[in-house]
Amino acid sequence: MDRPDVLVVGAGLTGCATGWHLARQGASVLIVDQGDVSAGASGQNAGSLHFQIERRFLEHGEALADQASRVVALNRLAIAEWRGLEEMLGAHLEVTLAGGLMVAETADELALLERKCRREAHYEIATELIDGDRARAIAPYLSDRVLAASWLADEGHANPRLVTPAFASAAQAFGAEIRVHTRVVAIDDIDGGFCVTLATAGRVRTVTVRQVLVAAGAWTAAVGALANLHLPVLPAGLTMSATQRAHVFMPHLIQHVGRRLSMKQTESGNVLIGGGWASRLYQDGKGAFDLSRPPALRPENLRENLRAAADVVPALAELALLRCWTGTVALTPDQLPIVGEVPRKPGFYVCAGGSGFTLGPVFARALAAALGGTANDEHLALFSPARFEHLNSFMG
Amino acid sequence: MARIDDGVHRNGGFEINVDGTVVSVAAGETVATALLAAGRVSLRRDGRDGPRGLYCNMGTCCECMVVLVSDDARRLVRACLTDTTPGMIVSTTTQDD
Amino acid sequence: MIEPYDLAIVGGGPAGQAAAEVAVSAGLRVAVVDEQARPGGQILRQPPRQFTVERWLAGRAYRDLKAQLTRFEALPLDWFGRCSALGAFPGADGWSLQLSGPEGSHLLAARRLLIAGGCYDLPLPLPGWTLPGVLSAGGVQAFIKSQQFVPGHRFVFAGTHPLQLLVASQVVAAGGDVAAVLFAQERGHLIAEMSRAPFAVLTSAAAFMIGATALRALRRAGVPIVFGAPVAAIEGDGRVESVRWSGEREGTAACDAVGLCFGFVPQTDLVRAIGAEVRWIDRTGGYAACHDDWQRSSVEGCYVAGETTGVAGADAAMCEGRLAGLAIVHDSGRITPSDIEREGRRLKRRLAGLRRFADMLGRMADPTEWAMRNIPDDTIVCRCEDVTYGMLDSALRQQPAPAEASALKLITRAGMGLCQGRSCEHAVLRMLARSSGKKPSELNGFNARFPARPVAIGDLIPRP
Repeated sequence: MDRPDVLVVGAGLTGCATGWHLARQGASVLIVDQGDVSAGASGQNAGSLHFQIERRFLEHGEALADQASRVVALNRLAIAEWRGLEEMLGAHLEVTLAGGLMVAETADELALLERKCRREAHYEIATELIDGDRARAIAPYLSDRVLAASWLADEGHANPRLVTPAFASAAQAFGAEIRVHTRVVAIDDIDGGFCVTLATAGRVRTVTVRQVLVAAGAWTAAVGALANLHLPVLPAGLTMSATQRAHVFMPHLIQHVGRRLSMKQTESGNVLIGGGWASRLYQDGKGAFDLSRPPALRPENLRENLRAAADVVPALAELALLRCWTGTVALTPDQLPIVGEVPRKPGFYVCAGGSGFTLGPVFARALAAALGGTANDEHLALFSPARFEHLNSFMG
Repeated sequence: MARIDDGVHRNGGFEINVDGTVVSVAAGETVATALLAAGRVSLRRDGRDGPRGLYCNMGTCCECMVVLVSDDARRLVRACLTDTTPGMIVSTTTQDD
Repeated sequence: MIEPYDLAIVGGGPAGQAAAEVAVSAGLRVAVVDEQARPGGQILRQPPRQFTVERWLAGRAYRDLKAQLTRFEALPLDWFGRCSALGAFPGADGWSLQLSGPEGSHLLAARRLLIAGGCYDLPLPLPGWTLPGVLSAGGVQAFIKSQQFVPGHRFVFAGTHPLQLLVASQVVAAGGDVAAVLFAQERGHLIAEMSRAPFAVLTSAAAFMIGATALRALRRAGVPIVFGAPVAAIEGDGRVESVRWSGEREGTAACDAVGLCFGFVPQTDLVRAIGAEVRWIDRTGGYAACHDDWQRSSVEGCYVAGETTGVAGADAAMCEGRLAGLAIVHDSGRITPSDIEREGRRLKRRLAGLRRFADMLGRMADPTEWAMRNIPDDTIVCRCEDVTYGMLDSALRQQPAPAEASALKLITRAGMGLCQGRSCEHAVLRMLARSSGKKPSELNGFNARFPARPVAIGDLIPRP
């Protein structure tokens, strides 16, 4: 395929899912990735389907919280998307929507929960503020330290290991081509599109495309640079832990409003523990971060993560920690995803920087519509790259 | 399964409990030895319901995981690296089941 | 504020002991960590303190090793037995080593770190190899040597490595029964390799004495030793009951225990987790720690010695340990290069000879021909997660085919279990190599991560 309609850079969840929608719409799609399918954050995240306002949006004051919580508007769409995904793809993805509890242990945290629930009500997310006893009635494994919680029946988790490959297969079934271990080396503007140079195992080829979608997670900025654009997506290292397999006792998604904590138990029985604990990016010795290496674990952060986990679910203390891994996620300057066409460069689209697993399928559907020239989703307008257009005044 | 007696003097012994059964051990024996000496060759069923027992006897394969039960905790340990102690309670039903 | 140790050694076997001896005599404060209760490593895996064993490893071949062990046990250092090293992190004064033992977990600070973690039996997937009663030959030997226990009544030993002759003879000497010792390779292959390296044979007379003695004992006991006899299947209901082998001398033997012996793999999970360079080992597979000629790893302040750097036997481990000890003492500023040059040269010459012998042994015992070849689809490859050969094969036939071990792991779950790939990584890489047309040495292995051994979460949480 050397004249596809669309080139998608990144065979992660967003890339493969968008590729599938586009292919179904009749577009010819080429998806490329420097690694294997799902080699980045798509394969390393813990699979949370979180639809309550995240704790990270509440920690920097009301103004930012107000702006950031607009992402919650997408969550209603995401819930519907995830509910229908397994049937749509004809694949078992271990989608479990048994409900989620965001807990509070102190009075201050309870106050935070209350403000959060008011915001969610405004966006018609049906969270319910409940006391500790009611929380423990729903989830008996929660500790007595839990004072209150916000409960959302629609929250849960799915298995990232299964999701992206399912989208990839589905895309290929509709004629999309996926080329792995293929780097983008150059992106040149031509009449009506782009001429993109790709390198696979040392062999260099060019493709001519009408549109490009960059869904490359932490590598998005680097790909943007090839198109002479500033795509303000910054890398950050996070930490995940997995326990031994155990009989399934924790079907819900558990988060914490005042501490960094997010956890769930998978169908195979491993409990996955995370919540935003930093790991340390390596440097390349030339003033930039070395994204080819997984970030370095910070043991003190791991310990605090595990402490929060065991404080909330005491039974975890007995489980054996099997493995910790680190991965690199993509952040934007205002913590909101950057999704849509880059005004400076018509035909050039980007999708990165926020809740890529939970919202990936929603973004994919909206992006495919935008790339296909159909409905202009006003929800997505909030995340448009236009808001950073000042950065590209001298670029493009 | 047999303890070597020729030239070997074991100093003291006691009882442990394996899945509700009392097992006599010599002081210094690992839980792995105790299990085999008691005829417990199979320690768990795997995901395909196949029987499994220990394999490497040096802490690398993790096939010999058993649970040590105490008043306030259940702890998953490698039997081949765990020394028996008087009154130890061992459960071969790991939390996988 | 606790003063950090000058040196922490992971592994109390011949290499660790040799290094400790040098370091302590130069006045360094040393801590030694080992998962076994007593020092000795696997080669000198001691009986419990509560046992008295006459004639324990009485042979001449063990004399030097036992002498070193005795000296080691008298050294003024801190011994942390029954402790696992979970991970090592760069700290203000060098290293922060996370340990886990029966009492919980704690951190140990040390200026320098020596990893001498030894090796383990190559776990080669065969039909029926997960049946209860199937052990590694090293595992059988450890029961006999250390726990003074014979883990079965009637054994079949099978594999490619001559060590199985020794273990089989130890079973016989302990009163057990050996139905057969099966070598997959032809006898001619073993002899051919020996005649290719006569110098190695001559300088390693002791090793051959052990083998010859074992052979005589087995013959006297009427134990059939069959060559050209690769295992076709290990069979039984609920536990092992028989082993069937193919080849010209095909046959079956009833048994209740099996010892598999295909060679040994260096233990390098900690080395890799630290980010130190490793290299793929051909023939057995697995990764060995890289080092300069003074045993320094590619990471500053971390040294490696013994089987961890490549399986070459206990004598080589002692030499490497001593070299590492000298390097550590030198790097700590306690001695000058000229002090250690001569001894260094002597040790390196001895090592060269020992490595030649180990190389010959490696060629004699090369399991490649029987590794991941002609095994049925339902053979378990990843023991922890029940991933079969067929599942891995299917994943490799996907379009696009995964090219990295981490991708194959993500698809199949191989390597995600309790042992974190120690048993299956070599097998996964062999399959990946075949599928991608690359050599295993050109592939990346799994990412080695914390913790290097399972640890209860409660043990890691800091006490308030």
